[in-house]
Amino acid sequence: MKLYTSILFGLFFATIQAQENFTLSGYVMDASSGESLWGVNIIVGTNQGTITNDYGFYSITLKKGTYTVEFSSLGFKTITKKIVINGNVKLNFEMEEDTAALDEVVITSSKASRNLKSTEMSVISIKPAIMKKLPTGLGEVDLVKSIQLLPGVSSVSEGSSGFNVRGGSADQNLVLLDEATIYNASHLLGFFSVFNADAVKDVKLYKGAIPATFGGRLSSVLDIKQREGNTKEFNGELGLGLISSRALIEGPIGKGKNDEGKGSYLLAGRRSYIDVFAPLIDDFKDTKLFFYDVNLKANYDLNDKNHLFLSGYFGRDSFEIDKVFGNTYGNGSATLRWTSELSDKLFFQTSAIYSDYEYQVDVLTSGSEFRWKSNIENYNFKPRLSYFISSGNTLRIGADFTYYNFNPGEISALNNSSTTAQDFQDKKALEIASYVDFENKISDKLSLQYGIRLSNFSRLGNETITQYANGSPLTYNPTLDTFEENAVIGRTNFDSGSGIENFNNIEPRASARYLWNNTTSLKASYNRNYQYLHLISNSTSATPLDIWTPSGPYLKPQYSDQFALGYFKTLKNKAYDFSVEAYYKDLRDVTDFVDGADLLFQKNIETQIVQGKGRAYGLELQLNKNYGKLTGWASYTLAKSERQVTGINNNTYYPSNNDQTHELSIVGVYKLNDRWDFGANFVYGSGKPVTYPTGKFEQNGLIVADYEGRNSNRLPAFHRLDLSATLNPKKGKNGKWIFSIGNVYNKQNAATIFFRERVNEVNDVNIPTGKTEASKFSFLGIVPSVTYEFKF
Amino acid sequence: MRVLIQILKNFACISLIIITVSCETDITDDISLASSPPKLVINGGLERSVNTPLSSQEFRLTTTNNFLSDDPNPIISDAIVSITDGTTVWGFNHQGNGVYSNSDITLQLTKNYTITIDWNGDTYKGSDTLNEVPKFDDFFAVFEEGTIFSPEGYFLKFNSTDPINVKNYYYNRLFRNGEFLISPDPGNSQNLITSDEFFDGKQRTNVDINGEINFQLGETATGQQLGISKNYFDYLFELFTQTGNTGISFGGNPPPATIRSNVINTTIPSNRAVGFFYVVDIEEKSLLIEE
Repeated sequence: MKLYTSILFGLFFATIQAQENFTLSGYVMDASSGESLWGVNIIVGTNQGTITNDYGFYSITLKKGTYTVEFSSLGFKTITKKIVINGNVKLNFEMEEDTAALDEVVITSSKASRNLKSTEMSVISIKPAIMKKLPTGLGEVDLVKSIQLLPGVSSVSEGSSGFNVRGGSADQNLVLLDEATIYNASHLLGFFSVFNADAVKDVKLYKGAIPATFGGRLSSVLDIKQREGNTKEFNGELGLGLISSRALIEGPIGKGKNDEGKGSYLLAGRRSYIDVFAPLIDDFKDTKLFFYDVNLKANYDLNDKNHLFLSGYFGRDSFEIDKVFGNTYGNGSATLRWTSELSDKLFFQTSAIYSDYEYQVDVLTSGSEFRWKSNIENYNFKPRLSYFISSGNTLRIGADFTYYNFNPGEISALNNSSTTAQDFQDKKALEIASYVDFENKISDKLSLQYGIRLSNFSRLGNETITQYANGSPLTYNPTLDTFEENAVIGRTNFDSGSGIENFNNIEPRASARYLWNNTTSLKASYNRNYQYLHLISNSTSATPLDIWTPSGPYLKPQYSDQFALGYFKTLKNKAYDFSVEAYYKDLRDVTDFVDGADLLFQKNIETQIVQGKGRAYGLELQLNKNYGKLTGWASYTLAKSERQVTGINNNTYYPSNNDQTHELSIVGVYKLNDRWDFGANFVYGSGKPVTYPTGKFEQNGLIVADYEGRNSNRLPAFHRLDLSATLNPKKGKNGKWIFSIGNVYNKQNAATIFFRERVNEVNDVNIPTGKTEASKFSFLGIVPSVTYEFKF
Repeated sequence: MRVLIQILKNFACISLIIITVSCETDITDDISLASSPPKLVINGGLERSVNTPLSSQEFRLTTTNNFLSDDPNPIISDAIVSITDGTTVWGFNHQGNGVYSNSDITLQLTKNYTITIDWNGDTYKGSDTLNEVPKFDDFFAVFEEGTIFSPEGYFLKFNSTDPINVKNYYYNRLFRNGEFLISPDPGNSQNLITSDEFFDGKQRTNVDINGEINFQLGETATGQQLGISKNYFDYLFELFTQTGNTGISFGGNPPPATIRSNVINTTIPSNRAVGFFYVVDIEEKSLLIEE
């Protein structure tokens, strides 16, 4: 704590050297909807600048004088203004949407210059307007799938909305929707992500150089912001698709200045209707399968300087087979945020957040009907103070308090079955992190961003902890190369609120940008991250039955160190920009599972988990074309990701499940005329690691495979092409058609290759034949789709 | 009860079929697999049955071969095999086709039996314990309509009372006209084996012997409830999980790994054996399927 305070004070004293300086500050809004705009580039003169924060606020300190100030942002007309600074100036700006530009520009020049000049690296951002132009594999605009087209991000499997960042596993991504943690970001077994593109304002993915303001996961932060709603007028939108339909309404709240609302609201919903067609197929007449989600956002200006935001999400998936099985799962979250401009240099924000993920399974087989329920809840409080010291120098300090309650499961009998009711112990934890993050401009050429995050994680009672012989639930037996469970030697009860285990860690973060010349910059970054939650799932992809479990007496926090170097270049007056990034990531205490782990309904999960280390490194290249009728990008990733875990693969490094050597994406959007836009993506990826059998034997009347090692084989490489066409309405008309064809040449990419005993079907019963076979499973052949959208 | 993942897998298949054009292709002829050097396979164990006592105890020894080979597993005819309960040693002789047998051994409850196999210069040892199985309180067949998970026909069911305060592990086996039947079904790890974790000391009713396999009129149906050890339960759980794998990556698809045998090569431990040497207690009943 002492170290922390002295750093803080040091920074303050170093920077509070009052000169004859004045502050230009204010908010930047969208002229049509009145929504605040974040990430707007503000360039003053030739070498000073800043960007608006998450709430559209900016502040820049300037010497007395007259300046040319330029405001630019993706999809908006650039504003250039002469401003005389002879005192503190407060100016709010409204930026007009550049409809022409929006159609033509995939990645605008403002982003190119941002890439060049910001200290940020390893960051991807994508706007919903762009996502909507890209072809969709399954006819639904999908935020996560759009991100998978960028370097360093791969899909857990074709068509899946699970993603891996730089060789990290899928549970190492922190997914935030308006600051609330989303624990399972997929609908329908991962084919769709839970984010409704209509309600999303902005998406940013940090693959590395994660600032100290974020923490809790090793590999990435996916920061999603919902739209706030139109403060000027009521608007409605309907989208009708083959898989789901969606609706959105937005409008002003109250009456403010210039006839505008003092606030606004937005309500959006989606529902799939696959289940409507299911009864048409005889086999599925007793089957129900659907998802829905609702997004809500509202904001209200208390006065010029104080704003309130309320944001919520609720989504559920439901699946039911009459008299056999039922499953529902989903996330819910609510965020209440207050932002306050304490002075023209001090900006304060604080959020109170609730987030919940739960699932429920009903097994309705006769005689043993039961219901299984599990959930994870967290309460979160995040205050932050931003101090805009001077141009290029911003200090952020803040804290994250999170209280978790994990309910690993409770079982109750249904229909008076003989199943005994059981309630597994809840696990409780408190995570407190405090941070300082400093953007520091050393010279026109060199800018730094550095900070430190101090994280503390405590497991709290009420809970009974099992004590094992040898102090550990598992002991590795090197002779047999297997883990043996240790005997239970006792149980210790911890009272409510008492500490069971406590972890304190320091997470340094730093990045630097050196502007070589007007078109070239070099960047470097280092960051250490700790992760206190572990996903208990031994499937390679996300399943609705995933359970999160906290670090504790037998489970250490995971941590990683990542180093990255980058080269950024703009070409032909920013018409093109090019970047190369190289990274090396060292992962420690990552979780894996003992061979044959039994994870579900597992009371003593610590007996199934082993921890090991990993390393991942790679090279990412990206070329963007920013202007013209044809825009888009090409990206290529060369990467390797390995794990080493005692008891697996003879204790030597093996390729991690998400190791993908080559990955290539080519994305293009072509504007033919005012009415027609066309989009295309081509994706190529080398095969992911798999384990093939090395022998067979007979046991219990069945043929069983024998294996050596892990992940020593590869699936075949995959590639696919998706196309889309958008027919925009005539001037003054309404209604837009979006046609899309996923996997145009119907490439049957292998999702899995599996090996099994051949069976003969006799009287509806599969009888084993004693012969074996290899089978390839592919999904997502050619999928045409159409969506109709109109506003009201 | 153990794991619903298998059900979930079916769920995955169904939702896939509904939402996408999914496709499965046989690629047996397009793929070649590496083989590890042949390993010793033990298939079988010792079985105590009070209702229908066995005249001799037997099991089979073979070696592994390439997974995609159409040849049966090569038999082992030259192993020296014995089993001991700690005091008496019984020799098992090769009877042909890899089968080793002994007709002198009488199994006793709660005893631990150790097998020793000398083969190819290595010595293998493994042991298991005989746990008593409770009786059927009732044993009957019921006609059921088909669902998407099970066919239509007569199904064998039983009621049985679990002994209280004892950890019990069960395995159900089914025979049609005397022939053992099993299907490599995703539900096996949940339906064929179970522990009393959630019903200790209670009576279970209408339990399917094997809900995947139906009977027609006139057939003789035999059902067995086996009392097995925890080790054998864990082994079967992995075995049924792997053999029931439908190959779809969601719904829980553990990375495949060799299933650890309880028979250990004591000469060179890394030269593993596969299969499980089990000792089980059997409750068996038969009936003729009639209207």
